[in-house]
Amino acid sequence: MMSSIGEYSISLAVLTSVTGVFAALASARFASPGWLAAARWSICVTAAAFTSASVALALSFLRDDFSIAYVASYSERAMDLGYKIAAVWAGQEGSLLLWAWMLAILCTIAVIQCRKLKGTDAATTVGVLAAVCGFFAALLLFAANPFAATVDVIPNDGRGLNPQLQNPGMVLHPPLLFMGYAACAIPFAVLVGALVAARRDNHWLGPIRRWLLVAWLFLTAGILLGAWWAYVELGWGGYWAWDPVENASLLPWLTATALLHSIMVQQHRGMFKRWNACLLAATFILCIFGTYLTRSGVISSVHTFAPSLIGSFFLVFIIILCAGSAGLIGLRFRSLAPERRLEGVVSREGAFLLGNVVLTIIMLVVLIGTTFPILSGVVLAEPVTVKAEFYNRVVGPIAILLVGVMALAPVLFFGKTAASKIGRSLIVPGILAALVTGVCAAFGILSLWALVCIAIASIGTFAVIDNFVRSLWARRKSTGENWITAAMLLIDRNHRRYGGQLAHLGTMMIVVGIVGSSLYNSERIFQLRIGELAQLGDYSLTLQSLDEVNGGNYVAVQATVELREPDGTVSVLTPQKRLYNKWQDEFNTEVALRSTLRDDIYVVLAGWEAGGEVLAIQALVNPLVLWIWLGGFVMVGGCLFSLLPRLWPAGARATQPALPVPVRRQPEVALHPAIPQSAALPEVTT
Amino acid sequence: MNHVRIKLTIGAIALAVSVALLAFAGVRQGLVYFLPVDEFLADTSRHNDRVRLHGTVSDANFEANPSLLSAHFDLLGEAGGRIRVRYAGVLPDMFKAGNDVVVEGRLAEDGEFSADTLMTKCASKYESTDGQAPHADPRTAQGAQR
Repeated sequence: MMSSIGEYSISLAVLTSVTGVFAALASARFASPGWLAAARWSICVTAAAFTSASVALALSFLRDDFSIAYVASYSERAMDLGYKIAAVWAGQEGSLLLWAWMLAILCTIAVIQCRKLKGTDAATTVGVLAAVCGFFAALLLFAANPFAATVDVIPNDGRGLNPQLQNPGMVLHPPLLFMGYAACAIPFAVLVGALVAARRDNHWLGPIRRWLLVAWLFLTAGILLGAWWAYVELGWGGYWAWDPVENASLLPWLTATALLHSIMVQQHRGMFKRWNACLLAATFILCIFGTYLTRSGVISSVHTFAPSLIGSFFLVFIIILCAGSAGLIGLRFRSLAPERRLEGVVSREGAFLLGNVVLTIIMLVVLIGTTFPILSGVVLAEPVTVKAEFYNRVVGPIAILLVGVMALAPVLFFGKTAASKIGRSLIVPGILAALVTGVCAAFGILSLWALVCIAIASIGTFAVIDNFVRSLWARRKSTGENWITAAMLLIDRNHRRYGGQLAHLGTMMIVVGIVGSSLYNSERIFQLRIGELAQLGDYSLTLQSLDEVNGGNYVAVQATVELREPDGTVSVLTPQKRLYNKWQDEFNTEVALRSTLRDDIYVVLAGWEAGGEVLAIQALVNPLVLWIWLGGFVMVGGCLFSLLPRLWPAGARATQPALPVPVRRQPEVALHPAIPQSAALPEVTT
Repeated sequence: MNHVRIKLTIGAIALAVSVALLAFAGVRQGLVYFLPVDEFLADTSRHNDRVRLHGTVSDANFEANPSLLSAHFDLLGEAGGRIRVRYAGVLPDMFKAGNDVVVEGRLAEDGEFSADTLMTKCASKYESTDGQAPHADPRTAQGAQR
């Protein structure tokens, strides 16, 4: 029943999205608003169809309908409700359905937002969106049907979800990531529309920037959640292994980050137009490529490289996207000429240029590294793999350069800025940063890399604070508001600026976390008997007992370890090895974690001797890891803040006590002469 | 050539050179040959290099001691090649006879392969019917051991 609803829904989605493409083409050909409305409606119906397919699949999971092969492979009766829902996207077919569903929902929001627009560009945009939805619908119908029936006898119980996926991180990580991927389709479609219509104005950049921010928000959250999941679930003590799956999500994030910056240069200065068009096309293509890498099994099965139908679908789609984007950008190459040249290297656009180049280099390094086993297999006929050291060595120093450029962001302005002026505004942050670095060195941090990163992160942080205090001071002086009102209105008038700076602060926190945890971590492996004590740096661990614990769908061997901190605080850690009922032949490590701002104590039960007399306990001290997750929250918060419309309308000041000289919005103008006043206004309308 | 262009060109060259140097250093440190057992045994040219070997853990002569953090086992190639591997370190969850693993290390003088890294590949059970791995598996392949 559910499976036929699902299959019919997917077939319907194929039909409606194809209808959408043709209606959009007709609208562009005959300049007909009626056809455009039809194209918009077909996207809405496609979204409804994908919704019904997704709901049907979720219901099949909740009803333990093992007549569907996909449900039987990824679920079991005893699983929690939450994991039954998460199992919907545990496998290939379901996750592609989730991708398609998110895409169709976002497309619907986009076409509703721009329902008043008409003309070739709007028609093309809607047509591209319909075509992308159509690709996924066709993929689900012909190559990855999640509703395929169980081949043999319908089993009484399913095979169960892979134990490593039975973690809260897994519930949220894929939807967030797919949402980010899907959101990249919309700015891409807007770009194609603007290019086809050869638009010369800049109005279409607003929606591109906003949708890109949405995509970036979800990608950032998804990537960090994935890292957190790897950290707490995989039990090797780290959060980033430069694994193909991780790299695949990082690639579009890197280009999207670059684009978020360079698009501002296009908005304000009319430069980087060709570059931005290439970068935006690349971002979307990398999203599709990332899905291809992780979903078609190219990388994970290097040795048995059998071109699957799904893989061919993706390859053809990627080739069409690449050729189409390249052709279109080539066709409009002249109209994308910059309106002005770079006036000075030391300027905001100069910094954005350097940042963009560096982000693109990192992207290329990661892309080449990830595809190296395939490339070397084809070129050298001898597969060579790339270890994490490769990425750390190559990307690490380049990333430090990137963070260095980022640290200078608050003091750089568009256009020509005298280097001496920048030097002057860096005096206070520079002195403070030197102090912080000196203190860290005095406390025994002597690694050059760490000191460089500390100096950069603190100069960036102090530059943000210093800049804010100066702006606040100037605003208060000119408006006579009290500190709190002035601060709130200053921030509220400049969502973009302060949202961006908040995201930068978050990045600094992540840098601190990465430096601390990768340069100063320590690992010990102990062989302990019950009651024995082990020393781990300043901490002492006492093995208290080894027990068997019963979970819902697993049995676990659990070690109870008492952790005594230098100040005498005692906490109890319980690392486990779980044996899930459906996965009887392998143990699953459950990490025990004690996390503070200072460091994480990460304890893994590595093994035990037959009678449970001697235990192997792997214990790690990972400093500052919590800063990475907190920095992620700050980054996402900054992005969210720059998306928010202004909270207090311009007239809100009328409710304040009457002021002697109400001079409005002078400080921003005075402080940032190069930014047009409109730049300070958040865009509310499309 | 105006002033800005000259500066940009110099900057670009400096950046390109430093990236090339980094890439060179990275390639020397971070690349490793990835061979199936059969190929490694057939071709002696890699016997002095650090390599990653890929094969199936044999049921026979399988010794694993999780508490002593060591394992001693035969790694089988698809075409019947066999090499004795000794490994010291934490044993990943999915390491057991019959599974596919990747070991990294070099050939010791006694003819055994001495590995310091052991990575588990996805077990057949994890794969869906058409042979493609679900989400977590490629990560695990790398993530099990540093």
